[in-house]
Amino acid sequence: MRPVIELQNVDTVYEGEKNATLKGVTLKIWPGDLICVLGPNGAGKTTLLETINGILPCKRGRILVLEKDICSKGPWIRSHVGYMLQEYTFLESTPYLVKDVIIMGRFGKIGLLRRPNDIDWTAAKRAAEYMDVLHLWNRPIGKLSGGQTQKVLLARMLAKNPKILLMDEPYSNLDYKAVEDISSKICQIHRNRNLTMVMVIHELSHIPPKCNRIILLKDGKVLGDAPPNKMLNSNQFKRAFSEYSV
Amino acid sequence: MIQIPAHIFLNTILGASLAAIVCSLVGVFIVRMNLSSMGFCMSHAAFAGAALGLAISRDPLLLALGMSTLVAIILGPVAERAKLQADIILGTMFSLTMALGLLFLSMIPGSAMSSDALSILWGSVLGITNADLMRLGILTIFLIVVIGLFYKEFLAIMLDRKLAEESGINTRPFYYAILFLCGVTVSVSLKLIVGRLIFALMVNPASSAYQFSHNMKSIIFLTPLFGLASSVTGILLSFQWDMPLGSSIVIMSVVLFLASVLLSPKRKRG
Repeated sequence: MRPVIELQNVDTVYEGEKNATLKGVTLKIWPGDLICVLGPNGAGKTTLLETINGILPCKRGRILVLEKDICSKGPWIRSHVGYMLQEYTFLESTPYLVKDVIIMGRFGKIGLLRRPNDIDWTAAKRAAEYMDVLHLWNRPIGKLSGGQTQKVLLARMLAKNPKILLMDEPYSNLDYKAVEDISSKICQIHRNRNLTMVMVIHELSHIPPKCNRIILLKDGKVLGDAPPNKMLNSNQFKRAFSEYSV
Repeated sequence: MIQIPAHIFLNTILGASLAAIVCSLVGVFIVRMNLSSMGFCMSHAAFAGAALGLAISRDPLLLALGMSTLVAIILGPVAERAKLQADIILGTMFSLTMALGLLFLSMIPGSAMSSDALSILWGSVLGITNADLMRLGILTIFLIVVIGLFYKEFLAIMLDRKLAEESGINTRPFYYAILFLCGVTVSVSLKLIVGRLIFALMVNPASSAYQFSHNMKSIIFLTPLFGLASSVTGILLSFQWDMPLGSSIVIMSVVLFLASVLLSPKRKRG
């Protein structure tokens, strides 16, 4: 079996900065993995996801996603990888409908000079149905609650039939009920579609029951990579959060 | 009411209508992407180019086109490199192009300050020629074709550039294309509408259309209609009351915007 994501000694440096935010990160992520990335603020968790997705360029090392190099095949990879951005909200006046936002998930896959066809709309509707947002199909995106917006963004990712899902704090700014709802949907997606998932979380209570690995980041370095029970009881974990309570 | 020959009146209506369509279509991008200083900056770049043309006895329109295109071309990469909002770069560019425009204007020999030459700097839709109409017609078709061909990419970028990247679109060429289209539109429209008022024709019709719909497709369709309405009513107002043409068009676009805000269904609660 080959890893679906492979980072080999990767450094990521933000443009205009001297010091690397990610330093020498080496990781292998296997098909079907459900990984939680933990770490104090500023550890490089979002940077890790954006580096894997090719939104941030790596300055050193090599990144292979679905066996393709992110440097040369970035747009292709992004059309096969779902990425949920951190705390993404829409202004109330945003002039887009829910259906527009969901179908846009497929735009990269559709390619240049082509319009979404019946297959694309069917995939978008199925994703909306799966996430229980089909009844919001013609609603303005800016009029939805936080939980509904997150579900639409998940539907947007699913519409492209991704092989990997990267999620950056999918529960931030949600109330208890919405967290429960989104959490059960994420578990359902993993169970039914057997996708590889990497999610950044802040609350230990948000670790999904099926999570098989926790990657611990601090100061841009991987401090540890182990199954949840082992990681949460490790000294590495306690040390990483010694100045910070989760 | 002023009496003018029918062919001039027709040319005026046609020219102003085409200018309104292209300016307002580009305005959809400008308003949605918070680049409202774009029209302002581009019109001053074109103004500086035209003034340079007059100062060195070269075709002012060509140099206006060249200058605003140059600003459009360097704007994107500079904003990205400097990690600054495009609006900040636009502000800086605006002051630079304004200063250059005034500098070149002071270099124009007295004999060149004819009304024909000044019309390029200050806009005169009454002086529109068949060649101007041809240029505007080509630009209108070009703009509609480009927007039609890359509709979904532009739609995604206008929602959010990062989300568009996430879906697998290489956004950079499209973002630069938007800036380039703005530059070309300003340059070609410069002869018709007072340079400094072009940005109003870019921003006001699009802002009016945004008041009426949550759907981008409707907004893209409504915006040129608002632009057209501003132009035609502005021309009629100008002929009726002997007002400067550019000012009348812009005043009507503001009136339409205010009416849109008052009548906006998006603002009604319930």
